[in-house]
Amino acid sequence: MKTEGVGTGRWAAPEAAPVRRPVRWSGLLYLVLALVSLPFLLPLLWLFVSAFKSTSAIFGSPFDLKVSALTLTNFAQVFADYPFARQYFNSLYIAALVVPLTAAMAATAGYAFARLRFPGRDLIFILSLLAMMVPSELTAVPQFVLFSRLGLTNSHLPVIVLQIFSATGAFAVFLMRQHFITLPRELEDAGRVDGLGTLGVFWFILLPLSRPALATAAIFAVLNSWNDYFNPLIYLSREGLLTLPLALQRFTDPLGGVYWNLTLAAGVLVALPVLLAFMLAQRQFIESLAASGTKG
Amino acid sequence: MTSGARPSRPVLGRRALNRRGREGWAGWLLVAPYVLGMLIFVIGPLVAVLGVSLTQWSLLDAPRWVGLGNYARLAADPAFGRSAAVTGVFTLGILAINISVALALASLLNVRLRGIGLFRTLIFSPVVMPVVAWALVWKFLLQPEGPVNSGLAGLGFGGANLLFDPATALWAVILIEVLKAVGLNTVIFLSALQGVPPELHEAARLDGASPWQAFWRITLPLISPTFFLVFIVTLIGALKLFTPVYVLTGGGPADATTTLILYMFKQGFQFFEFGYASAVATVLFVAVLGLTLAQWALRQRLVFYED
Repeated sequence: MKTEGVGTGRWAAPEAAPVRRPVRWSGLLYLVLALVSLPFLLPLLWLFVSAFKSTSAIFGSPFDLKVSALTLTNFAQVFADYPFARQYFNSLYIAALVVPLTAAMAATAGYAFARLRFPGRDLIFILSLLAMMVPSELTAVPQFVLFSRLGLTNSHLPVIVLQIFSATGAFAVFLMRQHFITLPRELEDAGRVDGLGTLGVFWFILLPLSRPALATAAIFAVLNSWNDYFNPLIYLSREGLLTLPLALQRFTDPLGGVYWNLTLAAGVLVALPVLLAFMLAQRQFIESLAASGTKG
Repeated sequence: MTSGARPSRPVLGRRALNRRGREGWAGWLLVAPYVLGMLIFVIGPLVAVLGVSLTQWSLLDAPRWVGLGNYARLAADPAFGRSAAVTGVFTLGILAINISVALALASLLNVRLRGIGLFRTLIFSPVVMPVVAWALVWKFLLQPEGPVNSGLAGLGFGGANLLFDPATALWAVILIEVLKAVGLNTVIFLSALQGVPPELHEAARLDGASPWQAFWRITLPLISPTFFLVFIVTLIGALKLFTPVYVLTGGGPADATTTLILYMFKQGFQFFEFGYASAVATVLFVAVLGLTLAQWALRQRLVFYED
């Protein structure tokens, strides 16, 4: 299977050399671009502005940005009246477990698929491509039977395990395999001449060259873990055990009416780390995510 | 790809044999965690879904064998038929709108202009936005008295309630999902467009072709491998989309947005009809598998163009 060729490396390149064109054409282009970006930008702006407003002000004019209209009480209330800090910690520690474990699994299995010969390798690899395509929701019933028989509902274990062995995990293995295939074999031969074994070559020579590929796998694992909704929905019901995507829907009155000021403030806290990471490593994010469309 | 140790191979040197043995051992050791995990948590359950779909089971009692009974029930179940129809509109709607908007945006963004990177970033940013947060912002904006509906009332469309009216809810969900995801396809199309040699357009222009003709006759054929990949990946993605729909509408109003994956979830985890839910899952799996195999076959044929 060929996967190189649909490169995404050039997405930002042409910015470097603007072409001279009549000023009014540029102006018109900027106007069109600004109008087109609005539906993408406005919901984010609305979220961030509303998080700082009281319930009554939220449904008022979005352009009311007087300092007197803005407040931090929503954030204080989110932490004071709900187990949101605990839920935030749950999401953080689950991601902190899932990401390195996924990366380790992807690196070792990807290397074996790319470089080592062992009986059954190709069959296993094809099966794992299949696993990459199976939406994890479809296997939910037997997985739930398994975990509930083990008494593991209302525990984070199924959520963690199913994030690692998900389509995302299989995709990370696939990405790492494609990466190791591109490394020249001479590197390994040189290592072997120096007396390293298979695992030594992997650890001391190939792995240090794999940081960009590992970063891509890690970005997938982080986003997958932070956004995971379906499995927590099935396995977690106790408030203190919830992860953030579920927690966002718990700012309601007893009849189910939503406290939008609290929901939006909590939404800002959930979105902020991801958006900040995106701003800091834009290129890496865009190229990694685009790879999922063209290389999957 | 060479497959593993071949027993028929003539005598190998002792060193080579040792090396190969060690390599096989190391190979198995390195894939073992992944393979075991996938067998237990993915492949096993996938096979089990087929088995469970042949039973009636609420988890409280023992599963009762019903053969193809669940599938017969599916065929006669009007709610399943409606859900399949909703899924058809949903996936095709997302597919058509996402791909045409992504192509248009990519063409628009494929200009040399100072600051164009900012607009690319803006259009991509919803892609990284946590999906539940994105869905909840829109649910807020689409509250009965919320900004969008009151805005529409101001424009003379009084009484609009896009997300809670069975006539419009599905399309509201489709548009919200497209806004969230279209940045990804845009970036993919953009990099394909940037691979089209500008000389071709120059030549077409000199020959008197309009930009529209140039797009259909030159650009589109040249980016067709990317186009087909995006097409199938987007289609499969829409077919299995759960979270935004569930958060926005929960399948309502009046089941207007209950796609098959939501139907499966409701049957399994709200009504505890695990056998019936597994039959729905099996139908969906067959659809996804068929599309995936079609993608692989297409890819084999299109691989030539990918360089």
